[in-house]
Amino acid sequence: MAEITHEGILRAGRYRDLTIGDGEADVAKSLHQFMLRLRLCEEALAREYHPADEMRCPVHFCVGQEAVPAALSLLLRDDDYLYSHHRSHGHYLAKHAPMKALFAELYGKQTGANGGLAGSQDISYPDKRFYSGAILAGATAISAGSALALQLGGKDGVAVAGFGESATDEGIFWETVNYAALAKLPLVFMCENNNFSVFSPQLKRTLLDNISQRVAAFGMPQAAIFGNDAMLVYRTLRDAVARARRGDGPSFIEAYTYRWSGHYGPASDDLVGYRREEDLEAWKRNCPIVLLEQALTGLGLLSEQDKARLQRQFEAEIAECFSFAKSSPFPGEIDWDGLNLARSTPEADRLLAEVELHEFDAHQESTQTKGY
Amino acid sequence: MLAEQRNAITEISYAEALRQGLRQAMNLSSSVIVLGQLIDYAPGVFGSTTGLAEEFGSHRVRDFPVSESAMTAIGIGAAVAGMRPVLVHHRLDFMLYSMDAIVNWLSLWRFKSNGRSSAPVTIRAIVGRGWGQGPQHSKSLQAWFAHIPGIKVAMPATAFDAKGLLLESIFGEDPVLMIEQRSLFGLKDRVPSIPYRVRFGKAVVRRKGTDMTFVAAGAMVPFSLRVATQLGEEGISAEVMDLRTVSPLDTGSIIQSVKKTRRVVVFDPAWNSFGVAAEVIAQVAEREGRNLLTDPVRICHPDSHTPMSSALEAVYYPDERTVVSKLRSLVRQST
Repeated sequence: MAEITHEGILRAGRYRDLTIGDGEADVAKSLHQFMLRLRLCEEALAREYHPADEMRCPVHFCVGQEAVPAALSLLLRDDDYLYSHHRSHGHYLAKHAPMKALFAELYGKQTGANGGLAGSQDISYPDKRFYSGAILAGATAISAGSALALQLGGKDGVAVAGFGESATDEGIFWETVNYAALAKLPLVFMCENNNFSVFSPQLKRTLLDNISQRVAAFGMPQAAIFGNDAMLVYRTLRDAVARARRGDGPSFIEAYTYRWSGHYGPASDDLVGYRREEDLEAWKRNCPIVLLEQALTGLGLLSEQDKARLQRQFEAEIAECFSFAKSSPFPGEIDWDGLNLARSTPEADRLLAEVELHEFDAHQESTQTKGY
Repeated sequence: MLAEQRNAITEISYAEALRQGLRQAMNLSSSVIVLGQLIDYAPGVFGSTTGLAEEFGSHRVRDFPVSESAMTAIGIGAAVAGMRPVLVHHRLDFMLYSMDAIVNWLSLWRFKSNGRSSAPVTIRAIVGRGWGQGPQHSKSLQAWFAHIPGIKVAMPATAFDAKGLLLESIFGEDPVLMIEQRSLFGLKDRVPSIPYRVRFGKAVVRRKGTDMTFVAAGAMVPFSLRVATQLGEEGISAEVMDLRTVSPLDTGSIIQSVKKTRRVVVFDPAWNSFGVAAEVIAQVAEREGRNLLTDPVRICHPDSHTPMSSALEAVYYPDERTVVSKLRSLVRQST
C-alpha cells in the first residue's frame, strides 16, 4: 500500500498485503480469536443498548477497530500499564480484565468493574493495570507517569497510551511526546487514527495529516501503518514494546482504521452528513477480521467449523455476562466521603511521628520584599 | 541518632522547614520524587529544594520542561504506579495550565475506580505577594480547589505546619494542593528534627479569647494574630484559629469557638466573594446563625486583580490599623 493517510487508503481500495509468516500461525489464530470475541461482544451490547435502555451511560463501540486491541492483548503483561479512552472496551479486554465486570459496569451495578461509578467511558480495572477516561488526551500524559515509575523502579514493564488521533489536537499530547523522548520512557504511543473527532475529520482540524512526521521531529521513532492488518499491527507493536522493555525509549505508532458505528451508541450518525457512505462501505470491505480470516483460511489454519465453534463459545460467554450483569444488585448505600478521600493513611501512620507545637511568633516581618 | 538529636527542636524558616521535610521524605522512601522547573539549581525554589538534586540525583529531583500540564499528569501516572511525587510550582498561576489534570483526572481518580486505585500526588503551589508581583504572580485560589471533591487543600502558616503538612501530604493517600504564601517563607518557627505529621482537617487555636473568633488561613494567620494583640491591648479578647487546611475544613472547632464568643471574623488571603471566608460563614450561619451577637465579617482582598505599584499594593492588601478599628467598633456597638 502506497500512502498511509485516510485518502490514500481509500484510493488503494481492497487491501491485499496481509501475510502470515513462518512461525506466526499461533499469533494469527490468537489475534483472530480476540477480534472475533470483541466483535461479538460489541455487537451483542449494541443490540441490547437502545431497545432495553438498561445500560444508561454513553457507550462508544469499537466495531471495526479490533486489530489494535488484539495486538495489545498478546503483547502486554500483567505488570504493564494500559491507558485508554472513551472507546475503551477493546482495550479493557486486551488487558484481560473480566468481561462480566465490564457488562455489569455498563448496567451500573455493584459488581461492575468500578461498582457502577464509572460506566463505559471511564472504566478501569486497577488489578490489571487498565485505566481509561473520556477526556482522552489527559490519559496519554498519565501513561507517561506510569512509564516513569516503571523506569525508576528498574523493572522492564512498559506503559501504553491508547488514544485516537484527536488527542493530538491537544497541547498536552505534544508536551508528553517531548518529555517521553527526553526521558527515554518505556512507553508506546498507540494511536488509532479513525479520522474523526466525533464528526470532524482530521483535515478540517489540521492543515496536514502528518501526525507521525510531527512526532518524528521530537526525536522519537514512529510508524504510520494500515491499522486493519492485524498481523502488521502486531509486528509493529511488538517491536515498539520490545524497544521500550530494553530501555531504549518510547515509540509512536499510528494505525489507520475506521469506526463502523456512530461516534456513540450503535446507531448510525451518518444523518449528520459528516462522512460518505461509500467510505464506510470501503472500510467494511477491509474489515480487520475478514482480512485475517481470509489469510488463515488460505493457509488451512481456520475452517468453517472452527469459526462456528468459536462463535458458539463466545456467544455462550456473552450470554452469561448479560445474565450476570442483569441479575446483579444496584449499588447500595454510598459513603460519599470515603469514595472521594481515603479513610486511612497507612504509610503516614508507619513513617511519621505525632508532635504538636502551637505557639509561634506572629510579630516577625512577613512581607516578600524582593526577588522573583 | 542520639535520643537528644531525635527530640531536637530547632528554630528554622518556613522555606528551610519545607526543604527539611522534602529531604526526610526522600530519605524515608525511594518512591518520593520531586518534579518542577529549576528545582535542581542553587536557588532551589526560594530555598525549599536546595541541595536535594546533589543528594538524591537528577532522576529523583527532576527539572521539568515548561509543560505544567504534562507534569501534573505525569505525577498522576507515577502515583498510580506506586510513586509519591511532589510537584513544585514557583507560582500557583503557572499551575493553572494543568487544570484538566487536576480537576478531570486527579481529583476523581479514587472515586471513579471505586476506591481501588489512588493517586497520592502532592502539589506545592507558591503565591507571591508584594514587590510588584502583580496579577499573574499573586493569585491564591484555595476556594477553587476546596470546592472540588477528592482533593485536599493545605495552607500552612508556620514552619512547623509547613513541614508537618508536607510530610502528611506525601505519605497520605490523597491528592493534596499545598498553597504556600511566599511572604511566609522567611518566618522562623520551632521545628522538630524528626519527620512528623500535621493532620488534615484539624484547626489549631493560636490564641485564646472570649469576645470574638478569628478564623484565619495562610498568611492571614500572623496578620490576624497581630490584630488580636492590638485589640487585646484595648481589652477586646479575640480567639485566633488557624485553619491549617481549608479542605477538609475543621467546622467542628470553628463552631465550638463561635458558641463561646458569638462573633466570627474570617481572615482569608484571597478575593472577598465566593471564597473560603464565605464558606466558613455559611457553616457558622447554618449552626449558630441565630446566636450571633454581630454580623459575621470577612477580611479579604478586594474583588479585584492585584496591582503592581507598591502604592496600590499598600491599599490592596488588608491593613492592620483599618482592620483593628473596624473590629473595635463592631464589638463596641454590640456591647
